[in-house]
Amino acid sequence: MAFTLWNLLEATLLCLNAVCILHEERFLVKMGWGANQNIQGFGEQPSVRSQVFNLVRSIRTVMRSKYLSILCY
Amino acid sequence: MNLVAAQKGSRKKRVSDTAAMSAPAYPPPYNPYASAVPGNMPPNMNMYDGRYVLPPPYTASPDYSRIHPSFPPADQGFSIPSQFLNEPLVANVAMQYGQALVGSGKQLVGQELEKYVPFSRIKYYFAVDTRYVTKKLGLLFFPFTHSDWSLRYEQDGPVQPRYEINAPDLYIPTMAYVTYVLVAGLVLGMQDRFTPEVLSIQASTALAWTVFEIIVELITMYITNIQTNLKTLDLIAYGGYKYVGIIFAVLLSILFHKTGYFIGLIYCSMSLIFFLVRTLKVQILPIGTSPSHHDPYMHNSGNKRRMYLLLFVAGIQPFLMWWLSFHLISPPVPKS
Repeated sequence: MAFTLWNLLEATLLCLNAVCILHEERFLVKMGWGANQNIQGFGEQPSVRSQVFNLVRSIRTVMRSKYLSILCY
Repeated sequence: MNLVAAQKGSRKKRVSDTAAMSAPAYPPPYNPYASAVPGNMPPNMNMYDGRYVLPPPYTASPDYSRIHPSFPPADQGFSIPSQFLNEPLVANVAMQYGQALVGSGKQLVGQELEKYVPFSRIKYYFAVDTRYVTKKLGLLFFPFTHSDWSLRYEQDGPVQPRYEINAPDLYIPTMAYVTYVLVAGLVLGMQDRFTPEVLSIQASTALAWTVFEIIVELITMYITNIQTNLKTLDLIAYGGYKYVGIIFAVLLSILFHKTGYFIGLIYCSMSLIFFLVRTLKVQILPIGTSPSHHDPYMHNSGNKRRMYLLLFVAGIQPFLMWWLSFHLISPPVPKS
């Protein structure tokens, strides 16, 4: 029950890692969750699924960007 | 005061020394090693420390080199008139230049910090006064009779909390959070369970849960694509109001143990849920009176999502209130 800030940081890191390592081609497309598969018309409100995919995609892009990898090395 | 006394003392010494040293005695800012604000530091040439001000700009030093070779002879009394004419102007210009540099440096640092922590926005949330705080606390404990929950707006944001009772503020949540940590220490001390680490564990836990709750709310708002006027700081403010209820329930538990705790908890949960639903209804749910202003692409499903978000925000409060405090109540066991 002592869910401190450190635990929160650890949990966030693990979740971000999980989001990053989901491989798009091998796994998500086969389950129908690929990012190219649901193209919507412009005027409609984006569905929950497309927002989730956008979020996952953007997290992956940010985490894989050059600047962050420079920070690690 | 010591500096002024030292300066006066040293000024006395310098007046008597002008006969011997022939350096200009009046006024002290002539000395390029003195601070930019005259009269603060003793005009002692050995004491150059850059604590208060930037080093003097170059405009001062040529003057000093001009002064230096032309020492007036010992019996000439006050000063050479040419030096006297030039000095105040140059000293003023030097002072203004130094002050301008400091001002622009401060501005630059402020701008850089603003990108990471929005200080100017935070100032809005702390613009409260006593009347607002008392009324808001009364509203948190008894919101059932309040009728007007709308929020008045200025040009770009809501009116300051000082003038508008329905505006969120960060003062009450911050104070309630600190008081919660202190009350937790008090209650644990009364049960002989207190160690100093417990305080930091409590503070960190409560903060972690608040951060987690806000992250969940932000992600939910992004995923369901709800456009509201709520900012992150608003969410922090609304999430912090539960600490007031927690404090009340825990204090009741000191007197009446478990029954008092649960009664206090249930009552505070009810009033907090009511308060949050009425306050956030204005901000999350769309106002039905102006259909022409709406985005023509908005679907009706947006309403359902907004309602669920509202219920989620309001419903998670009692759960978190219980989770953050149930370990603090003392069991009604008589001590032997």
